[in-house]
Amino acid sequence: MTTLVVKDQDPYGHGIGGWLSHVGAVIGALPGTYRRELTIHRRRTVLLTVLVILLVTYPILNKLFLAEFSRTTFPLPLPDDTVVTFMMIFGIMAIGLNIVAGFAGLLDLGYVAFYALGAYTAAFLASPHWDSVSIVFLANVAPGFPGIHLPFWIIVPIAILVAGTFGALLGAPTLRLRGDYLAIVTLGFGEIVPVVFRNLADVTFNFSLGPISINAQHLNLTGGSLGINPIDAPYLPFTNLVFNASSGYAPVYLGMFLLVIAILFARNLERSRIGRAWMAIREDELAAEMMGVNTIRTKLLAFALGASFAGVAGSLQASYLGATTSDFFTFSTSILVLIMVILGGIGNIWGVLLGAIALTYVDKTFLPYIGQQVQQIAPSFPNPAQFNFLLFGLILVAMMRFRPEGFLPNRQRAAELAAHTQADVEAKVDEIVAVDAEAEVEASIAEDPGIGLDNLGPPPGQAEASGDARAPETIDEEREL
Amino acid sequence: MSLSESGGQPVANAPLAPSSGDAGVLVRARGVTKRFGGLVAVNSVDFDIPRGSIVSLIGPNGAGKTTFFNMITGFYTPTSGSIEFDGHPIVMKRRNGMKSLRPHEVAALGIGRTFQNIRLFGTMTALDNVRLGANVHLKSHWWDAALRTPGMLREEAENREASMDLLRLVNLEDRAHAWARSLPYGDQRRLEIARALATRPKLLLLDEPTAGMNASETRDMTSFIRKLRAELGLTVLLIEHDMRVVMGISDRVTVLDYGEVIAEGTPVDVRRNPKVIEAYLGRGAADT
Repeated sequence: MTTLVVKDQDPYGHGIGGWLSHVGAVIGALPGTYRRELTIHRRRTVLLTVLVILLVTYPILNKLFLAEFSRTTFPLPLPDDTVVTFMMIFGIMAIGLNIVAGFAGLLDLGYVAFYALGAYTAAFLASPHWDSVSIVFLANVAPGFPGIHLPFWIIVPIAILVAGTFGALLGAPTLRLRGDYLAIVTLGFGEIVPVVFRNLADVTFNFSLGPISINAQHLNLTGGSLGINPIDAPYLPFTNLVFNASSGYAPVYLGMFLLVIAILFARNLERSRIGRAWMAIREDELAAEMMGVNTIRTKLLAFALGASFAGVAGSLQASYLGATTSDFFTFSTSILVLIMVILGGIGNIWGVLLGAIALTYVDKTFLPYIGQQVQQIAPSFPNPAQFNFLLFGLILVAMMRFRPEGFLPNRQRAAELAAHTQADVEAKVDEIVAVDAEAEVEASIAEDPGIGLDNLGPPPGQAEASGDARAPETIDEEREL
Repeated sequence: MSLSESGGQPVANAPLAPSSGDAGVLVRARGVTKRFGGLVAVNSVDFDIPRGSIVSLIGPNGAGKTTFFNMITGFYTPTSGSIEFDGHPIVMKRRNGMKSLRPHEVAALGIGRTFQNIRLFGTMTALDNVRLGANVHLKSHWWDAALRTPGMLREEAENREASMDLLRLVNLEDRAHAWARSLPYGDQRRLEIARALATRPKLLLLDEPTAGMNASETRDMTSFIRKLRAELGLTVLLIEHDMRVVMGISDRVTVLDYGEVIAEGTPVDVRRNPKVIEAYLGRGAADT
């Protein structure tokens, strides 16, 4: 017997100490881990290393030499600090959507709704919007300032809760649906939420039931199409460090911090019993249910957890920009995140992160830059930046043709996508094997008529004829709900 | 209940022990009927599985065997009747009709199953397939998973060990990290059993475990099923077409035809039963 090399054993021990040493080991053992990764996935590892180093050092590189180079020597389409921050925000979103669409295999076309919920949570809890009250707690505004002002670090968990709760609320009635139907319901939800935020600017209602009577005249709940601003910027309590749109590259590192936590969480979930249950549901929901997986609950969990990532991204976006309006949260944003996930490599955390960074760059820096160049040369030519979705569509079509599993594919997903032809081949082989085996058994029965109840074997033809018109026996039938 | 009904007589209507607390009976089905529209797939079936026995369910194609299987596992809800497993009702009567436990609840009660056409999670490793089977017994929550808490890590390590033991039991320990899909057919069948065993079942339902196997693989599977009963104390319910397997392995055989029990008893009794011969070979064959 060969000695088994256990690949995914956790060598860092148990407990919080184990967890800390796990994190420590990830950092401390980087050279060793890196070498191992390099031997397994050379291209992927090199690519990711370049990406991470570029991201971490980009602000410095930009300051030291890239910007100068671009201005004096050769014009480069360099992403500015806003774009890099948005790379982080979309990175968090893509990782969240990857939990829903990648791990659990549920198509969510209304993911932007949770992004909006996160943004409006930040807007409600850190702005002068509710100007009839004044609650200031650890925020960088003067005490007594009108409105609720909570610090970003409290808003993020609340946004997680709000988005997660709405994810569960949306999921509960809809997750019995499959495939296309689920996609349509989520699409509807994604449209409803921004519309609600746009239209709750002038609410008048009278409600009375016995002694309870509520009267509201022209209540401005959400700021309508103007949105809510200003929203307090995230800041580090007891310091002067503020992370808003005018503080340069500082918000990039705030985003990076949240992104790293998002990656760790998603990765830990993927490698747990919940991750296995998600994968099992994606592969064969029915078999998973039969093996004791509560499929509805597990799918709901995917929905709620995925949504909470968008809640974080939304609160970061609103706090960073200092304003939010419902215009940010259109269907096209849902699609954009979905394209990031698909292009990057659905099911693979690093893949979707790469997709998020690449597409944010193309969408927010590269295309506008090309547009600018084109405008200079031919002012009457349509601006390519307005055709971003046309371009994304073309990229998507090309990807589906040449690399459907994405840039950095998940091994399993790649196999599933390749399974169309593969499964056909395997089915054929199985069929042949089965027929052979039957023939063999029949031959051995013919040789040895003394054994058991051979004469009870269904005679060819007759059993078939009597069996055809009867009970549907296969389990492939859809479960009746 | 007696294992030796008089040969030649159908026993479906014979009085069965009525007491519900019978320690000797693991599954008790009474008057189970399933209709699909106008089609009666299973008609008023009474069926007992004694604890620790190997029971086979046979019958021509379309006799309702798998439908019955699916009602035990909660996949179909019977139109009427009652099914009890180990004292727990699987089917309940509600005001607005029958209600069945959901399949994962049935699995948690202790019924593991395999499928007629193998349904492994193809792109998960053999080990992960088995680990998934134990899912119902794992207690850690998502926050444990996200934070990798000590309890969760301990549980994962234990689950891993137990799953490796199961793979060892089915002789697949050196394929633990291979994708289920890449395994040969016979290995997949055994992996499916290992996955079912990971749910720690009291009752193992095997739907045609030797389908598509050659004679020697069939022999291996038969002795493996016997070994399971001997070592794990399992009760086994088989659907099988291979009569040599059925006759060689079963303590009791129940024959279904057109959704009704036409015979029940020991293999020797059943194979002499004229109704059974008729069901398989047609009228006339039984008279000769």
